[in-house]
Amino acid sequence: MNLRESTGIALGAIRANKLRSFLTLLGTIIGVASVIAVVSFVQGMNRFVSEKLLDAGSNVFEIDKFGFITNNDDYINALRRPDLTIDDAEALRLGVRHAAIVVASNGNSERIHYRARHLDGVKVKGESAGYEVINDYTIEQGRHLTEEDDQHRQLVCVLGPEVTEELFPGRDPIGKEVRIGEQTCQVVGVTKAKGKMLGQSQDRFAVIPVRTFQKFKSERGSITIDIKSLDQAALPVAIQEARNLLRGRRHIGPGKPDNFGITTADTWMEFYRTLTGGIFVVLIGVASIALVVGGIVIMNIMLVSVTERTREIGVRKALGARPHDILVQFLVEATTLSLSGGILGILLGVGLSLLVGAISPLPAGVSVPAILLGILMSSLVGIFFGSYPAFRASKLDPIEALRYE
Amino acid sequence: MLIRIHDLHRVYEVGSEQVHALNGVDLGVGANEYVAIMGPSGSGKTTLMNLIGCLDTASSGSYRLDDVEIGRMSDDDLARIRNQKIGFVFQTFNLLARADALHNVELPLVYAGIKHEERRKRAREALELVGLADRMKHRPNELSGGQRQRVAIARALVNRPSIILADEPTGNLDSTTGEEIMVAFEHIWRQGNTVIVVTHELDVAAHANRVVRMRDGKIESDTPNPQRRAAGAPA
Repeated sequence: MNLRESTGIALGAIRANKLRSFLTLLGTIIGVASVIAVVSFVQGMNRFVSEKLLDAGSNVFEIDKFGFITNNDDYINALRRPDLTIDDAEALRLGVRHAAIVVASNGNSERIHYRARHLDGVKVKGESAGYEVINDYTIEQGRHLTEEDDQHRQLVCVLGPEVTEELFPGRDPIGKEVRIGEQTCQVVGVTKAKGKMLGQSQDRFAVIPVRTFQKFKSERGSITIDIKSLDQAALPVAIQEARNLLRGRRHIGPGKPDNFGITTADTWMEFYRTLTGGIFVVLIGVASIALVVGGIVIMNIMLVSVTERTREIGVRKALGARPHDILVQFLVEATTLSLSGGILGILLGVGLSLLVGAISPLPAGVSVPAILLGILMSSLVGIFFGSYPAFRASKLDPIEALRYE
Repeated sequence: MLIRIHDLHRVYEVGSEQVHALNGVDLGVGANEYVAIMGPSGSGKTTLMNLIGCLDTASSGSYRLDDVEIGRMSDDDLARIRNQKIGFVFQTFNLLARADALHNVELPLVYAGIKHEERRKRAREALELVGLADRMKHRPNELSGGQRQRVAIARALVNRPSIILADEPTGNLDSTTGEEIMVAFEHIWRQGNTVIVVTHELDVAAHANRVVRMRDGKIESDTPNPQRRAAGAPA
């Protein structure tokens, strides 16, 4: 008896009990669907994050007071470090020879007023010239902030599109004066919308010159310095130059650690991978439990099926089926069953990730390895949990089986 | 001799007791015989049929089918013998409910490992032989009792077995339909097949050319039936 015959019999049996088969398969469907959804989702996220993080910030590194800190003790220690200042930024701008752009920035969150209207929780960023490259801002209307704006501590700002939509519905914001905290600034430009990233708006901000920010904002504190190297190859050189320069300015002796932090996009990517790796493991674990439960249900239904079809087994044996033929038949049937569940689960999982991708900003792609994994897992579930019922069927005594009512 | 049975015993353990279902049976059946095995229930006729049909193996004694000793064969070998040498016809037909007539008849050929086209062809021929050429695509529940049993006979014949083994083939049929089935057996016997019918109905046994009576696990009498009544002929 070949595989095609067995599969035909199996599909017939599934068709004959559609509802029962479907209910039996729910566990497998859910298990496989979650695996597909999780894998597709995490892969989509990875792609998305690496695009956003690495492309926008390619060959960019960031210097700040803290660096990449993931625990409280490090944070407490880092608080005692000296602040980074505009002077540091200026020194870096002059001293890092492999730097294309050096941008000093600072930020907080404030309320912005225009006449009677106001908007809360706007990210106010003090930035020096070149910020548009680091932040990937394109101007929609008006102009970007310039070196002169910064040097003269001008009270000017560039607004994100979400801010102008709220404050200037249907009106031209250029030349208008808005109040950012205590200061009144003239709007000189509006950027193009960037949309959302991981559910966060990227368009709800106001940029003012960093020197203006440092002059007026009470909680000015330490600034952040972003440096874009000349090209990818120059990145490590630029980092080394910046590091040596800052250590020199701060008189840090050889062998002593840095009292400032340098972060690259790779640092973030690494952290992100660790994070999603954890999520991945947990969700795969949950999905595996669903698959095991699904497998047990399949085993149960196969045992029922073997009992119900005892007579059929007897007839087949009388007509010349060897124990091995019966074993294969029921094994194929269990596998066909679980594989159908797997395929439904794949459809559901793919549908789910496409739906999530369509209605939310979270990215989700269809992952071919995930689909293959789903097929493999559901087949294995069928073979594993189908073995015992199939073995029982193959060992039935033909006389007893023929007599079974 | 097609079948040579010598001093065959079959002992069942029922609880702590031993039941001698067959207690020293000797029987020989030649090719193209038409034998009826009769006896009251508990006489051992079903046990004998199971042994002849290679569904069961004896506790002791010898059973040679086509000069091959069946005695201590493995399950796989028994399955092969059943597939190639035995054609079963059951009282309750035992057709697969979900399969059509053609597919039911094909089944022994599936286990014989015969290719699809060849299977189709031979199953068709067997169904034509029992007069069901126009019912090939019908499922058992779309067929009458007599038609179902004729499908079963076609299934028994399809792999050209040495013996057609029928267990109360008319037991679930009314007398008219039963007669129709006996006509079918008459026909296949006349074509050179060996037919063994297990029955307790005299009417059925009357068609055989030899009647074996059993009692208490032994053969009580084994007589030719010179007055055999050809099925389909007037009584």
